[in-house]
Amino acid sequence: MSIRLAPGVRRGSIIQLVVIGLIAGAICTAVALMIPWLPVAAGKEADRIHFVYWFATVISIVVFSVVAAVLVYEVWKFRVPPDDMSDGPPTHGHTALEIVWTAIPAVLVTSISIVSAIVLAKNGEAGQNPVVVKVVAQQFAWEFTYSNGKTYGFLTLPEGQHTKLDITSKDVIHSFWVPELSQKQDAVPGQHNTLVVTPTRTGTFPVICTELCGLGHSVMRSHVTIVPSTQFTKFIKGGGSSANGPPGLAVFQKNGCGSCHTLQAAGATGKIGPDLDQLADLAAKAGHGSLEEFTRESIVNPSAYIEHGYSDLMPHTFKSQIPPADLDQLVQYLVENANAKK
Amino acid sequence: MTTAATHSTEVHAPPPPDTGLRRFTRAGWLRVLWTVPLFFGIGLAIVCGIRWLAGWDPVWDGVPILTVELVTVPLGFLVGIGGFDYWAYYASGRRTIPDDHSGHGAKSWRDYFRINTDHKVIGVQYVVTTIFFFCVGGLFAMMFRAELAQPGDQYFSPQTFNVLISNHAALMIFLFIIPAFAGLGNYVIPLMIGAADMAFPRLNALSFWLLPIAGFMLIAGMAAPGGGPSAGWTCYAPLCSHQPVGQVFFNMAVQWAGASSIMTALNFLVTIITMRAPGMTFWRMPLLVWANFTTSLLVVLATPFIAGSQFFVLFDRVLHMNFFEYQQGGYVLGYQHIFWFYSHPAVYIMMLPGFGIISEVISVMSRKPIFGYRLMALSLMAILVLGFSVWAHHMFVAGMAGWLRVPMMVTSMVIAVPTGIKIFSWLATMWEGRLHFTTPMLFALGFLSMFVIGGLSGIYLASVPIDIHASDTYFIVAHIHYVLFGGSVFTIFAGIYYWFPKMTGRMYSERLGKLHFWLTFIGFNLTFFPMHYIGLQGMPRRVADYASRFADINLFISIASFGLGASTIVFLYNMARSWAHGPVAEANPWRALTLEWQVSSPPPVFNFDEIPQVVGNPYEYGVPGARHAIFGAPKPEPVGAD
Repeated sequence: MSIRLAPGVRRGSIIQLVVIGLIAGAICTAVALMIPWLPVAAGKEADRIHFVYWFATVISIVVFSVVAAVLVYEVWKFRVPPDDMSDGPPTHGHTALEIVWTAIPAVLVTSISIVSAIVLAKNGEAGQNPVVVKVVAQQFAWEFTYSNGKTYGFLTLPEGQHTKLDITSKDVIHSFWVPELSQKQDAVPGQHNTLVVTPTRTGTFPVICTELCGLGHSVMRSHVTIVPSTQFTKFIKGGGSSANGPPGLAVFQKNGCGSCHTLQAAGATGKIGPDLDQLADLAAKAGHGSLEEFTRESIVNPSAYIEHGYSDLMPHTFKSQIPPADLDQLVQYLVENANAKK
Repeated sequence: MTTAATHSTEVHAPPPPDTGLRRFTRAGWLRVLWTVPLFFGIGLAIVCGIRWLAGWDPVWDGVPILTVELVTVPLGFLVGIGGFDYWAYYASGRRTIPDDHSGHGAKSWRDYFRINTDHKVIGVQYVVTTIFFFCVGGLFAMMFRAELAQPGDQYFSPQTFNVLISNHAALMIFLFIIPAFAGLGNYVIPLMIGAADMAFPRLNALSFWLLPIAGFMLIAGMAAPGGGPSAGWTCYAPLCSHQPVGQVFFNMAVQWAGASSIMTALNFLVTIITMRAPGMTFWRMPLLVWANFTTSLLVVLATPFIAGSQFFVLFDRVLHMNFFEYQQGGYVLGYQHIFWFYSHPAVYIMMLPGFGIISEVISVMSRKPIFGYRLMALSLMAILVLGFSVWAHHMFVAGMAGWLRVPMMVTSMVIAVPTGIKIFSWLATMWEGRLHFTTPMLFALGFLSMFVIGGLSGIYLASVPIDIHASDTYFIVAHIHYVLFGGSVFTIFAGIYYWFPKMTGRMYSERLGKLHFWLTFIGFNLTFFPMHYIGLQGMPRRVADYASRFADINLFISIASFGLGASTIVFLYNMARSWAHGPVAEANPWRALTLEWQVSSPPPVFNFDEIPQVVGNPYEYGVPGARHAIFGAPKPEPVGAD
């Protein structure tokens, strides 16, 4: 090799640089491969996103190894004791080298851009006849409505079929994410955003809100169950009941009450608002009418009475959001539960 | 602190001390005592008066009163401390002395606590103030890391947790990184370009005093009913418009910090353009000056946008203007477009001055000229231009116009090219150099390695598909800290250590400096590297509670973060002790060529006893007989005469 890459680069130092670079690359590769960085994909879109991830990772390892090799070599070879008063060679630049390190990164990022753009386009394709699910976010719960008009607090999706999620929000911005499906989309009030997912394996995975949406943000979780498509057809046709139990429980779950309140019967463990298993005591303390009146008032006008130690944080939207029949069922359910606990 | 920066030359005799009531009418803290209540009353009178005249009920309405008070009370403070005295005298026709230097320079520590027109005093005021807010912001971080050590709720309510994360970010960004660079620039730039001071010293003094106002406003907001600002530092509408009233403190604090930034940037621009020493052409400016020049352009062009975004959400709340209220026809995503049109360039506002510092340190400590000086300057300009075309990469999952995604991805990718040029040029500068591993150099190398990691994770996030997976997770938290902590904060530390002997006239302890570096470097990586993993695996950011499978790794991160926090104690001790008792520093301990090192440490009150004549480039290490500037030259030609 007779080409001088830059002033002062000789064959011996090139070999040393390459060795350091290979060691750095090997360490990075080991870190990349031995730690399970990504969740196991459960969707076609996730597979493609993982491909882009690995594509970028290979390039990053190469770039990092080059930088690490040069940096380590310099620290190792060019260090001088503090009393050394000499100066280095007055090199001001090297045009060819500068062109190379402008051009190569430009090519690398362009290639990542092209791969990304292709994957982005493919991940937006929902095919001819996708399953459509309406997703509505609110503080601090998700609701999912299917073509049969039924609404649930959790998501069920068919394996192997394109699904188009129509995502919106009732109050502030939320964001829908299933790590195993990789796809993510903000739920923006006043706007319908679509997201395509094509599940490839059955199982139950978390649905997470990733956009700070207020006090209950960290507990705004639900789950998605991916089932074989025959089972999904049955689920839609049967109009499967959203919850086994009293109708009020379904209202409780649909409106996400459990994100903030504890209610053992519903398996809810929220801690932002008062414990609803203590409802009878709370009503007695408040003195705002009977247990039933107090319960109803606290839902439709939550600011009317604030329990000591809690803040006036409950949304005022439930008054318009819960249909009167549902509200009656919810109040009845909570009152019965409270009486049973007394 | 008492021995700090007692300048050698006394130019003007101090005014005679005032006695009796006159002490309360002269600019200073005693006048603040009555101007603040006065302006509080004025604010109250304005709001209640208008409401009473208009017949609005109730006359006494907390939110509008608070909003107006957050303007008038700080104004009262500034009037009291003397920020407007000169202009008020001028405007009212009283006698003014244009070159009155009575408020210039520092003879005792008291001079650091008043309006001071000396850019060196202001620089020190900035740096010390920002380090104070750095410590407060760091304490907030350790508080919420304590909460995050285990899943579930332990120490703080969700509201308090959200306040802590919001104020941690707001303090670190608006009260530490951005103004710390402004402070270092303030101290160094006039010296580096051979000027006696900044172009507008009185404006400079005023810009500094806006800063503590903004900081204490953010902290005071935490005492507001319902809790402090809690919508994150991004303050997304419509969430922030419906938060408890503490959010108003955030909206207004950003205005004060932003105004401070803009005024300083204008000052930098005019100073750099008009006050360079004879012979200092643009191509002979040190890269730190170039970096602050481009940064100031960014600040002047972009900062009004964040001011706008915060006024809009404030108007939504107070005046019901419905910019972002979708039920009333507002456009929710409009907020994010305006906000990020500032806040992405802000990332470069927080990085370019650091690039400048690193160029100085690496060249001097490697005893070699900067490799590819002109390309280094041009890549700053390229980042400036490209920086304005990438904002929507923060909104890839927001549901904005679909066509915007790919172009914004491409520009975000392309901005890696000028950044790469800088990294490779620093590596080439060190090649065959004589490397001195002083504390600033260690921080420079720490920056170089950490910023490469932050830059590479930035490439992942620029790619739309990967960003869709990683957006709003701990991967983002890891990335932003590799860029802003491993990047910006390391460069600030490098700069503080590098110019410490110049600013204080004393030398810091190298041993403690190196200890500080290694503790910070290791603590930093242990804290933030695992966040890449939990983010990709499925932990969202800004959560007080999380899935139990992340418990062990979060406990590890929390413990590491306490170690990282503790490393700051070494820094503070080193700074305080060296400032008071450190060995007296030479004028030029680093054997640097740039102008600030050619005067005494600390420099004379007016910087140069004679104006230097710049005759060459600032980094000509190893070039026999090369000079950057000569003193005592015959009367020079004006700049640009050739």
